[in-house]
Amino acid sequence: MTTSLKKLVTAVSTSVALMGAGHAAADIQIGIAGPMTGPVAQYGDMQFSGARMAIEQINAKGGVMGEKLVAVEYDDVCDPKQAVTVANRLVNDGVSYVIGHLCSSSTQPASDIYEDEGILMITPASTSPEITERGYELVFRTIGLDSMQGPVAGNHIAKQNPERVAIVHDKQQYGEGIATAVRDTLKDKGIEIAMFEGITAGDKDFSSLITKLKQADVDYVYFGGYHPELGLILRQARQADLDAIFMGPEGVGNKDINTIAGEAAEGLLVTLPPSFDEKAENQDLVKAFEAKGEDPSGPFVLTSYAAVQLVAEGIEAAGSKDPFDVAAALRSGSFETPIGTVQYDKAGDMKSFEFVVYEWHSDGSKTPVN
Amino acid sequence: MQDLLYFSQQLINGLTIGSAYALIAIGYTMVYGIIGMINFAHGEIYMIGAYTALIAITGLTALGLAWLPLILIVALLCAMIVSSSMGWAVERVAYRPVRGRHRLIPLISAIGMSIFLQNYVHLAQGSRNVGFPALIEGGFNFSADGAFEMSLSYMQITIFITTLICMTALSLFISRSRTGRACRAVSQDLGMASLLGIDTNRIISATFVIGAALAAVAGLLLGMYYGSVDPLFGFIAGLKAFTAAVLGGIGSIPGAMLGGLILGVSESMTSGYLSGEYKDVVSFGLLILILLFKPTGLLGKPEVEKI
Amino acid sequence: MAAKNYRHALFCAIVTLIISFPILGFNLEAKGISVTLTGAETSTVIAVVLAAVAVFVFQAYRDSFTGLLGKLPRLNPLAGREPMEQAKKAKLESWILTGIVVLALFWPFVVSRGSVDLATLVLIYIMLALGLNVVVGLAGLLDLGYVAFYAVGAYTFALLSQYTGISFWMALPIGALLAALFGLMLGFPVLRLRGDYLAIVTLGFGEIIRILLNNWTTLTGGPNGIGGIPEPTLFGMEFGRRVKEEGNTSFHETFGIAYSGEHKVIFLYLIALVLAVITALIIRRFMRMPVGRAWEALREDEIAARSLGLSRTAVKLSAFTIGAFFAGFAGTVFASKQGFISPESFVFLESAIILAIVVLGGMGSQLGVILAAIAVTILPELAREFSEYRMLIFGAAMVLMMIWRPQGLLPMRRIHIKLNRQE
Repeated sequence: MTTSLKKLVTAVSTSVALMGAGHAAADIQIGIAGPMTGPVAQYGDMQFSGARMAIEQINAKGGVMGEKLVAVEYDDVCDPKQAVTVANRLVNDGVSYVIGHLCSSSTQPASDIYEDEGILMITPASTSPEITERGYELVFRTIGLDSMQGPVAGNHIAKQNPERVAIVHDKQQYGEGIATAVRDTLKDKGIEIAMFEGITAGDKDFSSLITKLKQADVDYVYFGGYHPELGLILRQARQADLDAIFMGPEGVGNKDINTIAGEAAEGLLVTLPPSFDEKAENQDLVKAFEAKGEDPSGPFVLTSYAAVQLVAEGIEAAGSKDPFDVAAALRSGSFETPIGTVQYDKAGDMKSFEFVVYEWHSDGSKTPVN
Repeated sequence: MQDLLYFSQQLINGLTIGSAYALIAIGYTMVYGIIGMINFAHGEIYMIGAYTALIAITGLTALGLAWLPLILIVALLCAMIVSSSMGWAVERVAYRPVRGRHRLIPLISAIGMSIFLQNYVHLAQGSRNVGFPALIEGGFNFSADGAFEMSLSYMQITIFITTLICMTALSLFISRSRTGRACRAVSQDLGMASLLGIDTNRIISATFVIGAALAAVAGLLLGMYYGSVDPLFGFIAGLKAFTAAVLGGIGSIPGAMLGGLILGVSESMTSGYLSGEYKDVVSFGLLILILLFKPTGLLGKPEVEKI
Repeated sequence: MAAKNYRHALFCAIVTLIISFPILGFNLEAKGISVTLTGAETSTVIAVVLAAVAVFVFQAYRDSFTGLLGKLPRLNPLAGREPMEQAKKAKLESWILTGIVVLALFWPFVVSRGSVDLATLVLIYIMLALGLNVVVGLAGLLDLGYVAFYAVGAYTFALLSQYTGISFWMALPIGALLAALFGLMLGFPVLRLRGDYLAIVTLGFGEIIRILLNNWTTLTGGPNGIGGIPEPTLFGMEFGRRVKEEGNTSFHETFGIAYSGEHKVIFLYLIALVLAVITALIIRRFMRMPVGRAWEALREDEIAARSLGLSRTAVKLSAFTIGAFFAGFAGTVFASKQGFISPESFVFLESAIILAIVVLGGMGSQLGVILAAIAVTILPELAREFSEYRMLIFGAAMVLMMIWRPQGLLPMRRIHIKLNRQE
């Protein structure tokens, strides 16, 4: 018994220890942490494909300060518990720069560890304002905040002079955060909010909610959350003849919503970052993605690409591989990336990150609304 | 008038969901009645039924079939066959070998099976939500002079009628047929029934098959009604249906029906008059309350303590 | 007989085809805006057919297979051995437990940081499983909402630290006591319920707690969770790079050593280890006390136990309360380790995993529970390459374990006196 137990312990400890080792010291390791499995794996795929492409292209150009970049990838399943395990693994591996994590609830506990251990982290997807509110020195992001996106949507709705607006959210960090920002904007403009209510994420029956919206006689419905729920709400609202205009954040703006909502998706308003993949200066990059059989149009592909690029350019600008020097260089410089010119404020947020209102169509295309 | 219409609309919404819960709850209640175990994987069987129906509908439409009743009937048959086979196989593989052991053992086995089936579909079909075509559209509208319009869709009517047919058929089957009588005998006393020459293994398998077939019906109906399927939605629905079964008195078929309806209506009323965030709190709270005053559910037989 | 065998085998093979072909053989894919159906790759189809053939062959020649299997155990040299004497076995178990603890004390200093962190998680699960073991394994009360007490412990610490700035050491007993109070509160109403009714009510209770935590945004931060939970301190010494709270000093400055993040991880691990050992010792003590015997008596035969004068209320409530107490312990450590908690860490699957640990370990046995906690937490980490299949394998393993070794890895056996029939 004791011997087999010892064997188990040694086997486990050696394999755990070996897991991260094996990279030559001369390379610069870049950790990429995000969900490869689990319910939001499709967003994780975007993150990994963007970051891998950036590493590939930078290496093809000769690397950073003559050294190659090497990706160290970990799956956190968007589970806070696993995110902490992954963060400790990355510390273990001696990684100094991390691209990740995806979900805000994973990024937050992991960033505590990175900050403490002197690791520079750039999240390409977490939009919760709290992440950069804690005065951390080494935490950055290449995406806008919920508190930036909400006002864009709120202002748009306010401009149409609606009589009654309903705000619905999915009771998750992302959805409720944006919904709250929209509500605050609308309140400032003196617009009546008929309803502010949560639903359960993963739920499928929204008939009661829709009846309530009908009763409240609203003309705008803002939904904070993701496409699976909004798709069903749109479809069931159409079945029940609810006559209102729906609006949602970038989490609803992908073609999957059309497979669920069908015709009902016509006329949906979505706030999105400008489509980086449609910009003229990014066409070479788009072709490179397409040559690999990957889709560059997802919301987190090019933000991840930009995050890797910022790490590389930050190192060169600082002339040092010390994460603290790189962070200082990122804060003081201005960088040209596929997502536009990036300048950082003290908190680690981009000084400007634009959101645009699009109208969604039932064939999956979108047109900008002015 | 306005308020009355609103109330009736929420009532209709609740009854629709409730009758679907009842269809799924039958599977739990019959299995529990006979072998006294919670078949945790039943929600997954319902999910697999919904997926199969969607695959059949998409396939038939791609082949150019346009006559709606035929598509529905074929999809229903496919879903029922696949789900029933799944129910049979699950019983055979995961439950029969552990039958009669400490009651935690089959329960853990069932939870394991539930995780397994969820991930089986997840791996085969991906984790994303897939849209389910709305084949039955339109409905009746009732309106008073106010702005609010009450609607009763054909889909909701279909769900009521189908549930009614299934329940009636099941009651007749249980009370009249030979197998049904054997089912009742086995649920009364398994050992005695087998002494009297009833093939108990066959009866237990039949219970799983019937429950799974009804879950498949619910899968097709709710898939169309809601509008999408994903590998995780069976678990939540299963939990609700199980709650309904316990509420009505587990082991009792009319109880499952009653429990399903009560649960559905209480959910839609909570969403309608309070807030959707709290509907699960209210339904579980209701369950705890009812069990406190009637520990065996509304229509359950009181357990006699043998001393 | 043979014909019947073949007929049954054919039936099984057909069922295999029916349950696997539609789901595996067709893929629903979202192409643009519509859902299309594509056939799977030929390899999948071939695999499905092969599986059906395998099922056919197995079922058709089942008798010969089981015959072969029956001969196998004889190859095991230990099979015919006399079972070890009870007293000796109990002694051996304590020696092994002591050995594990000693090993665990030195372990963090030789392995890497990632492994220490993982080991802390294992210890948290050990505490949880030992606590649940009291409720399920010893008292025989099926609790599917155990994670609620874990959440109570974690949130107590998080909220207290946020609003009153309390330290880990103060929060530890408060969190555990509050969790115990919740256990008592749940215990009262469910006393009348038996078996599976109890299971569903506890499940509902767990969900209610989670939903309330998620909805009560003003107090708990709702889905945003609570961040900035402090780490434990050692006599006022903090382990961070910079001191966060006034009046504290930092560990590395006091001892004049270079800062290393490992100190913190190892310290947290050692705290978890000490707490896990305390948990194990207290529960061991309980098991030998009258109350422990009463739990088991009630589990084995409620009516007989009551006839012998045991109070059902007191016995069940004590089990619930003590089980919940240790979940509160574990919750506090978890909150401190994470530094951030949100309701999504306390879902039903977590309850199921803890229950799986208890059952895999052999209900009631402490050593078994510890080994099972290690296995359940570490195996998925080792199988990261198969991460896609991780949960699939986990589910299948649960089913197979129940079939082949339902008594768990190390089933518990009490020291008992065997009365020989007098001739």
